[in-house]
Amino acid sequence: MSDVANDRSPDLAAVVRAAFAPSKSQKGGASTTSDLSIDEELNLHAIGWEPVELVSGYSVFSTPVGLWSWGQGEIVAATEAHAHAFANAISRIHRDAAAVGAHGVVGVAIERSVYSTYTEVTLLGTAVRPIGAGAINASGLFVSDLSARDFSRLMIAGWQPLGLATGASFVYAPRRTMGAALTQQSQNIELTNYTEAMYNAREMAMERMQQSALSMNGTGVVEVKVVEGPMTFASHAIGFAVWGTVVRLAAQSHRPMTPSMVVSLDDTRVAFDAATLE
Amino acid sequence: MPDSPTPVASATAGFSSGLSVADFAACLDMGLEPVGLVQGFCAMQSASYALAGAQRNLSPFAGQGGYVETYQCPHGMVAGEHRMWGQNYEQLWIEQSWRQGFSSALSRMLDEAVAHGAHGVVGVVDTQSALAGAGIIEFHVRGTAVRVNGVGASNDAPWTTYLAGQRLAKAFEAGFAPVSVVATIASVRVWAYCITEYLMGGGGIGGWSNTAGATEIDQLVRANNQVRELVRASARAELHGDGLHGVDVRIVEHEHERGDVEIQALLRGNRLRRVGDFQALRTPDPTVRLS
Repeated sequence: MSDVANDRSPDLAAVVRAAFAPSKSQKGGASTTSDLSIDEELNLHAIGWEPVELVSGYSVFSTPVGLWSWGQGEIVAATEAHAHAFANAISRIHRDAAAVGAHGVVGVAIERSVYSTYTEVTLLGTAVRPIGAGAINASGLFVSDLSARDFSRLMIAGWQPLGLATGASFVYAPRRTMGAALTQQSQNIELTNYTEAMYNAREMAMERMQQSALSMNGTGVVEVKVVEGPMTFASHAIGFAVWGTVVRLAAQSHRPMTPSMVVSLDDTRVAFDAATLE
Repeated sequence: MPDSPTPVASATAGFSSGLSVADFAACLDMGLEPVGLVQGFCAMQSASYALAGAQRNLSPFAGQGGYVETYQCPHGMVAGEHRMWGQNYEQLWIEQSWRQGFSSALSRMLDEAVAHGAHGVVGVVDTQSALAGAGIIEFHVRGTAVRVNGVGASNDAPWTTYLAGQRLAKAFEAGFAPVSVVATIASVRVWAYCITEYLMGGGGIGGWSNTAGATEIDQLVRANNQVRELVRASARAELHGDGLHGVDVRIVEHEHERGDVEIQALLRGNRLRRVGDFQALRTPDPTVRLS
């Protein structure tokens, strides 16, 4: 069994044997923690970066009781709670990363929940830096939800991440009059109050994210995530929230990646579904 | 461990393995010879859950060390149901119970690996399941014991890793060797005081609630940030200069009453030791798949 394996890949088996040789001692220094996969760490290493520490940020903001039921226009307290919760969570993960001498945070997993009386944001990612580099001024440290792989691609193409931009808006969908509701009950009709509320929420949220990106001197936002729709706990409220990573061209010009074309010879149906072999 | 049975299989009677065919093939390429599927179990009862429901009307918890913060009501005596105090505290006994259960199951799995003459255990899977209503958690740890071809018998405890297959091969190629799986927990209990209760949605005497606008809930923010920091610190304490890779952090919250929550952070990862000098990889070639 082992002979067959060694015939296939003798170098790898030798590497493994050498790893457990009694003379092998630890080559590293301080402990590091990272939620990146080995693939992602290799991608990082390939562009001269390394993981430093797992970092996190959390915030929860209360919103007034009864906020979502009645009103017109934007639900200001809910929008503010969302913006502040994001801002504080980002500030805390930024502080964690600065404390360990990182230059940025990649692969930030964002969990965000909006309930009737509070809004919660959780961030978890890996602080990174150029291999062996010292600490930088914390104001230059970026927080990004790009994976380590996408971060590597971005850097190779000559761009750099600057931070997370967010925008959100929660808007009341005005209630129809009793007469209008009764008249429309037997018709196929667009409920323009909801449609207009969605457009209003979208316009304000996108505008805020764009302003957030411009305030970082970014030229764009990539990997924008959109969460939109009616609130499950309020019949006349619409929410629209967006976030993504702000980027800026760092090189003189964009470096084309000129990818090679590959055709995978894997056949997943044959590999994983024995029934297809019949 | 009471009357532990003899390990289930003999190394001379063929092997069993929890590896997929692809991971099995990758193991052979690495010169790792599977010798047996090894497992460890432990059922732990924690006294904490019996205590949890009874403390609201008592004075604040004195603490057993660890993280403790107490919050005092700013209103003065309002009514008997008013939450005059609140507290965040680290539930050390839950953490100790969990770690004892996990390490017992892990060491029993390692005993089986040693009995097979293994150097390590790859593809470790650990699960915890609660027995309904009994405050008992069953810990299950299993993996595939392997021998490294060309390496002699060792008196060291077998190494362990959640990795298997190509992911493990890449770790070796990157100059790492597995040391052990790391799994740890942090548990923080939040007894909400009146302000937290109101900000979470009102209630209590008079139905007080947040009428002011967006306001950060400081007690919950501190508890949540602490539980994440505690679990990371606990993991770091096990590293001794090695790195922890592929970390997975899961947060479980159980709300007992409005604002009264129990927050547990469970962290898992692979402790890897750098055994080779860093070899810079060439910049990866981008590809587009035509399929």
